[in-house]
Amino acid sequence: MSEPTTTRTETRRGACARLAMLAALLAGCSAGNGSGLDVSGRPLGEGGDVPLAPTLAAIQANVFDPFCVVCHSGANAPLGLRLDAASSFTNLVSVRSRQVGSLFRVEPGQPDRSYLVQKLEGTAAEGRQMPLDGPPLPQATIDFVRQWIADGALPGGAGPGAGPPVVVSLAPQPGSMLAAMPADITAGFDRDIDASTVNDQTFTLVRSNDGVFDNGDDVAITPAAVGLAPMNARLAVMDLTGVPAVDDRYRVGLEGSGPNVVLDLDGIALDGEFDMALPSGDGTAGGDFVAEFEVAGLQPSLESIQANVFTPDCAVCHTGPPGPDLPAGLDLSSADASFANLVDQASIQQPAVDRVEPFDAEASYLVQKLEGAPGITGSRMPQGGPFLDQAVVDVIRSWIDSGADR
Amino acid sequence: MSRYRVVLAAAVVVLLPVFAGAEPYLAVAKGLKCGTCHVAASGGGKRTAYGNTYAQTELPARTLDLGTIWTGELGSYFAVGGDARGGWRQVDVPGQRSATDTDLDEFLAYAEIRPVPKYLTLYVDARLRPDDPVIREQWARLTLPGGRWSLRAGEFFLPFGWRLEDDSAFIRQVPGINFNTPDKGWELGYERGPWTAQLAVTRGTAGGPEVDSGKQYSLRLSRVLQGWRVGGSLNLNDAKVGDRRMHNLFAGVRTGPVAWLAELDYIVDEGTPTGRRASWTSLLEANYGYRKGHNLKLTYEWFDPDDAVDEDERNRLSVVWEYAPFQFLQARLGYRNYTGIPQNAVQNREQLFAELHVFF
Repeated sequence: MSEPTTTRTETRRGACARLAMLAALLAGCSAGNGSGLDVSGRPLGEGGDVPLAPTLAAIQANVFDPFCVVCHSGANAPLGLRLDAASSFTNLVSVRSRQVGSLFRVEPGQPDRSYLVQKLEGTAAEGRQMPLDGPPLPQATIDFVRQWIADGALPGGAGPGAGPPVVVSLAPQPGSMLAAMPADITAGFDRDIDASTVNDQTFTLVRSNDGVFDNGDDVAITPAAVGLAPMNARLAVMDLTGVPAVDDRYRVGLEGSGPNVVLDLDGIALDGEFDMALPSGDGTAGGDFVAEFEVAGLQPSLESIQANVFTPDCAVCHTGPPGPDLPAGLDLSSADASFANLVDQASIQQPAVDRVEPFDAEASYLVQKLEGAPGITGSRMPQGGPFLDQAVVDVIRSWIDSGADR
Repeated sequence: MSRYRVVLAAAVVVLLPVFAGAEPYLAVAKGLKCGTCHVAASGGGKRTAYGNTYAQTELPARTLDLGTIWTGELGSYFAVGGDARGGWRQVDVPGQRSATDTDLDEFLAYAEIRPVPKYLTLYVDARLRPDDPVIREQWARLTLPGGRWSLRAGEFFLPFGWRLEDDSAFIRQVPGINFNTPDKGWELGYERGPWTAQLAVTRGTAGGPEVDSGKQYSLRLSRVLQGWRVGGSLNLNDAKVGDRRMHNLFAGVRTGPVAWLAELDYIVDEGTPTGRRASWTSLLEANYGYRKGHNLKLTYEWFDPDDAVDEDERNRLSVVWEYAPFQFLQARLGYRNYTGIPQNAVQNREQLFAELHVFF
């Protein structure tokens, strides 16, 4: 049984006409002309105008921003891997791959074993070559990534230094709040380290037992093993297999001073001073590296919120006496200061609203700022993110709804 | 049946769903819901017995006489299926040497177990590798008597807009909901008359482990009629790194032998280094089934990465010829032209590709 020839011909002519109309419509559309933009399509001067070089800042501007963040950004970033400028370092360096857990996304000093390089070069055991469905990056570009990793995978625009050895990465991220105990702790250095100096005396972990360190009840953690990663003299690994998962604050230490210290192959001691910005150090050999992280354990009390939220996440900026340098005039450096500046205190940004309105979290400007509620003045806090887990904010809400007691 | 009706029925049957990755234009052409031919209500993955049967008898240019029709059914309680894709691709970036690639892109295997046929389904979708199989989907679905309501729990692809086979399409790539990003959680499904709806609550980590208490909420609702359909989706990913909100409208219509698809997405991210960012993506696609076994696909896509920044928009224009010479096999030959800002050569690339797709 066949369709009449005339009908079929007319149908095809109609289809062709519609396709021609579509083609004409599309011909009238065009892409942006790029005026005033950098190679990533961002306004000039926003931060991406950097020539390609073996530094993270240059790789961010010339590789991650133009080719990767179209997918690897925001809440839906594949496998949680955000590669925007605020996230790339902490999501890459010394962080284990989710696809091949035996590899780090970036293993300082080891470009061949870094999963990022394998994905870019198309040699990874899992998934397709990146950028997905685009042309592979030129090998010359990937070579800059390789060189950055070989130089120690330093953050920002830093290249390898000539001074004493420094810590360039730590996972878990300093100051982070984790939902569960990590399987291991890794610290990256900017050069090869003497393996005999990385042990349970120089790479340590303690937990506070009560949220406060150095008050006599800290608990030293005995890890399953401590040492350099296999075939990587720039990465120290503390294996936490078998360590009980206890909700608490934890302090990681790498010794740069004292009888047992981390040394490089020239016998130079670690330059460890750390003030929440990597790499560590003050330019002089010596000084301990100390960083903290937390495993859940938050309670709806001001003391707990202060110890677990305000001090590590807010007081970095909100510290000091009233003055032009104190953001919004809000000092959150201690529980007393937080209580005095928050509870029943009108917001400077929105004077009609109290920062904390006891028994009414919804009406409290603190909660609105933490949740990024519509109508707030200025940015969501913590400024620039990462933002607090909603579970953490919910504990703050509970504290307020129960009266916001001191 | 009149001669006209027979012709119409034959034309419609030609456009039935077959390809493993969802090809929603076929559903538009037929006026069927995605779940008629796929196990999942929102399409993609294993085909149903209905989908398999028509794929072998009506879709290809000719049907080889193999003596039987493969439905994937191994009794009342078990069914299987699979897809394999591979091919050749050449990418030309201005100022760079052409890059070519020949590969077996993927081999997918599906298993469907029905301990209580019609009511309880267990499903696995695995990407097979010699030493490293990857589970893409694994879920259990309880369908209530009457078939209107269902509850699915496990790991699955999220419902959002058109589920195109091509994950590189802007409307698949930019929202981040595609065949590379299953998520774990549960989904409530509703089917009644021309209506189909899915509401999913999932981790919101795009395949990664749970890292916060925030969830991703996905709602997809569409009305499916014989010659056209329209729908919309909402998605909120409540995440520690900053919320993402996505909204879209999608539609399909059949005009003679041409099946049209359209989608417009609006995406708002709160967690970017520069704060809030809103972006748009859209797709307009015409599929011309000019002869049995053949389809000519013309697609135009548009992407505005940041509506606060002018002159950063990108386009993608594709022309693809799809040919199913006989059952279980599809060949695809295509050309894509990307247009973007001139200072980024990769945004202005061209791509030629040839693909073979074996499915059962």
